[in-house]
Amino acid sequence: MRYLMQLIKNSFRMQFTYRTALFAGLLTNLFFGVLRAAVLIALYAGKSSVNGMSIEEAVTYVALSQGLIAFLSIFGYYDVMRSVYSGDIAGDLIRPAGLFFTWMGRDVGRSVVNLIMRGILLMVIFGFFFDLVLPTSGLQWLWVLISMILSWGISFCWRFLVNLFGFWTPDAVGIGRMMFAVSQLFCGFILPLRLLPVWFSRLAEFTPFPSMMNSTVEIFLGTMQGFQVLQAILIQMLWLAILYALCQLTLALGIRRLVIQGG
Amino acid sequence: MRRSLKLYFTLISVQIRSQMEYRVSFFMDLLSTMLLNGSYFLALALILERFGNIAGWTLGDMAFIAGLSEMGFSIMDMLFSGFDPDSFSQNVRLGKFDQMLLRPVNISLQVFSSKFLIRRLGRFLEGAIIFGVGMGLAGIHWTLAKVLYLPIVLISIVAGMGALFVMGGTLIFWTVQPVEVVNIVTYGGNELMSYPMNIYPRWIQNVFTYLIPLVFLNYLPALYFLDKPGVLHFAPVFSFAAPFAAALMLFLAFRFWSFGLRHYQSTGT
Amino acid sequence: MIEVTHLSKEFRLADRQPTFAGSFRQLFKPRYRELKAVDDISFALEKGEFVGYLGPNGAGKSTTIKMLTGLLVPTSGTMIVDGMIPWKQRTKYVAGIGAVFGQRSSLWWDLPVSDSLEVLQSLYNVPAARFRSNLEEFRKLLELDEFIHAPVRSLSLGQRMRAELCAALLHDPKILFLDEPTIGLDVVAKERIRRFVQHINRERETTVILTTHDLSDIERLCKRVIILDHGHILYDGMLQALIDRFEGEHLIRLTYSSREGGGIFDGLRLAQDDGIQAVYAFDHRNLSVPEALSRLQQQITIVDFELIRPSVEETIRHIYEEKLLLTPPDKA
Repeated sequence: MRYLMQLIKNSFRMQFTYRTALFAGLLTNLFFGVLRAAVLIALYAGKSSVNGMSIEEAVTYVALSQGLIAFLSIFGYYDVMRSVYSGDIAGDLIRPAGLFFTWMGRDVGRSVVNLIMRGILLMVIFGFFFDLVLPTSGLQWLWVLISMILSWGISFCWRFLVNLFGFWTPDAVGIGRMMFAVSQLFCGFILPLRLLPVWFSRLAEFTPFPSMMNSTVEIFLGTMQGFQVLQAILIQMLWLAILYALCQLTLALGIRRLVIQGG
Repeated sequence: MRRSLKLYFTLISVQIRSQMEYRVSFFMDLLSTMLLNGSYFLALALILERFGNIAGWTLGDMAFIAGLSEMGFSIMDMLFSGFDPDSFSQNVRLGKFDQMLLRPVNISLQVFSSKFLIRRLGRFLEGAIIFGVGMGLAGIHWTLAKVLYLPIVLISIVAGMGALFVMGGTLIFWTVQPVEVVNIVTYGGNELMSYPMNIYPRWIQNVFTYLIPLVFLNYLPALYFLDKPGVLHFAPVFSFAAPFAAALMLFLAFRFWSFGLRHYQSTGT
Repeated sequence: MIEVTHLSKEFRLADRQPTFAGSFRQLFKPRYRELKAVDDISFALEKGEFVGYLGPNGAGKSTTIKMLTGLLVPTSGTMIVDGMIPWKQRTKYVAGIGAVFGQRSSLWWDLPVSDSLEVLQSLYNVPAARFRSNLEEFRKLLELDEFIHAPVRSLSLGQRMRAELCAALLHDPKILFLDEPTIGLDVVAKERIRRFVQHINRERETTVILTTHDLSDIERLCKRVIILDHGHILYDGMLQALIDRFEGEHLIRLTYSSREGGGIFDGLRLAQDDGIQAVYAFDHRNLSVPEALSRLQQQITIVDFELIRPSVEETIRHIYEEKLLLTPPDKA
C-alpha cells in the first residue's frame, strides 16, 4: 500500500517536468474547442434549442469533450505495451502492488494534473468567452465528481486491457490504434450520443464507452435528471467491475504467456 | 534531378518495406484512420441533416470543401512527414540528423525521405470518398477551367500546409524539443479549412488570412467551384490566388529552413 | 592530407536556470556563458597515418571531429582536408570520408544488412563493380556471411560493428573516423575489428582517426597520438616517445620466504606487504631491474618475482592528472 502511495506521489512529481507540454496541450485543446464551438454556433444560427440541446449546452459539451481528452487519454495510451516490448515489464512483475495497480498508480498523477491544467483551466478560460451551462446544485456537482472518478476508472481499465495485447503479439500498436478509434467513436467524444441516430446510441450501450465519457458529460449538463443520473452511475459501476475483472483475468493469462522481447 | 528522385524513392521504399512487415498493423491502421476521420465527417453529415445547412452551405458543399482539405492534408502528411516536429526532433536528438549530414546527399531531400507513413493513405482514401460525395451532391457546373484548376488547388493545399510543417520543423534547430503549438496550425488548420471560413469570428479569419494564408488555399477556390457569391472582403479573383499563396509560403519556409541549417552548423546541438 | 591551423570553436550557451523565477527572467533578459570547446589547436596529418585522438571527456574531441566531418563551422582558424574545406563543400566532401560511431548507427534498423548496404551504394553512388569487389573483400575479412541477411535489429553488438565498418568503407573513403568502435565488445571481437582496421589502413592507405577511451586499442593500432584537454593540445607525437617520457613507476611483486633488516632500500618504495608477497615501486629510468633485484635480495629471500609495467592507461591518466603540457611536439 505504501508502495502505491509512493508511486502516486512520484507520478504527480513527474508531471512538473512536462509543464511545457501541458501548456501546449492546453492551447491545442482551446483552439479545437473554439473551432468546434464556432461551427456549432453557426449551425444553430440563432435557434435556441435543437433536439433538446440548447446552444449553451452544445458549447459546454464541446468544452467538456476537449477538457476531458487528456484526463481520460482519449486518443490512446501505449505505455504498458511499450514496456512489454522493451522488457522493462520484468521489473514491474516483481513489485509489491501487482501489475495492474502499479500502472494505475503511475496514471493517477498524470490524469489528475491533466484534469486540472487542461480540463478545469480550459473550462474556466472558455467560460470567459462563451456562455456555459454548469451544474446548478451541490448534489449535481457531487454526482459529477463520482461519475468522473468512475469514468477514469473505466478508461484506465480499457486502456490497460488494450495494452495487454502486447503480451500476445509484437504488433499491438496497430491493434491499439484501432481499439482506441472505436472507443473514441462510441464514448460520445465526437458528438453527444443524444444527437446521434437512435440505432447508434443503442449499439453503443452494449459497450462500456458511453460510461467512459458520455454519462459524465450528460450529468454535468443536466440533460440527465434524477433517476437517470442514478441509473447512469450504476451502469458505470457495473462496467468498471466488468472491465476490472477482464483486466485481471487477461493479465493472468498474459503473464503466463509472457514472451519478453528485447532490443 | 532524376538521381534525386531515384534516391527519394529508394529511401522511402526502405520504410514502406519495414512498415509492410507489420501486416496486421498496416491494415488495422488503414481501417482505423478511415473509420476515425470518416466518423468526424459522418457526425457532421448527421448534424447537417438536422440543421439543414451551415451558413448557407449544404452537405454537398461541406463534403466538397472538407474532402478537398482532407485529401490535400493527407498527401502533405505523407510527403512532409520528415519535417513533422515530433519525428524531426527525434532525429536531431538521437543523432540521426547528424548521420544524414555525413551522407553526400542533399540534406533537405534526406529529411523529406526520412519518414514516410504508408498508413496515412487511409486518410487520403477517406478524404477522397468524402470529396466524391461532395462532387455528387453539390451539383457543380463543371467547366474546363474548373477541371484544370482543381488539381492546382489540391497541389496548393499540399504545398501550403507542407510549408507549415517545414517551418515547424525548422524551429527544432533552436528548441530541440518539438513545439506543440505547430500542431495547432497544421492539424487545426486542416480542420479549420474543412468549414467555410465565414462562420468563424473575425479575429480567426484575419489570422488565417494575413498571418497564415490558409483562406486562399481552400475556401476561396471553393467559392469559385461551387459558384457561391464572394463573401468577406475578397474580390472573386482571389479564388485563383491558391498557387501563389502556396508558392510564397513554400518559398518563405525553405528560406527559414536554410537559415536554420546554417544556425545548426554553427552551434551544433 | 589534413591541415588544421589555429582552429577554435566557441559556444555561447544560454545559462540554464533551475528555478521558475530564473527561467522567467531568462526569457526576457537572457544570460549566456561562453564555452571555448576548442582553443587554437593546430596539427597536420599525412595520408595513410593512423592517429589516436585522446582526451578526457569534455576535452573538445567530439567538437573537433564534428568540424572535421563537416558538421560544425569553427569560430576561427582554418581546416583543409584533402584540399577541401569540410563544411563549405559538404556534399562533395563527405563522399570521401567514412565514419563509424559506437553510439549511432548508419544502417537501417529493420532491414537486412545486405539491403542497407545496397541503399548506401545508391546514396554514395558507388559503381556496381567497385561495390561488388569491396563487398566481397569485406565479407571475407569481417566474416559477414553468417549474418549478412539478418535484420540489423537482431544483430549482436559485435556483429553490428562489423557491419558498420563494412558500410563505412564501401565507397572507398580516403579518411576513416572511428569513434569508440570497440566499446562493449569482448576480447575476440575487439581483436577482429582491430585487425580489420589495420589491414584497411595498410593496404588502402586510408587515413584513420581513432577516438576512444580504450587505450589498448591505441596501443595496438596507433603510432601517433594527439592528446586534447580543455580545448588545447597537450601532446602530439609518437606514442612510444610519450610512454618513454611519462611512464610512471614500475613495480616488482615479490613472493618471499623470509626477510630481515629495516626494509629500507635505496631507490625502491614499499607499496604493499602482506607477509607473503610484497610490492616495491621504482623509477626504471634511474634503476635497472637487475640492480633493483640485487638491492632487494640483500634483505629478502626472494622465492619468485614479477615485473609490472604501468599500462598505457595509467601513463595517460598520469599525464591528464599532472596536466603535463608539452611545448615542442615530440616526433621520433
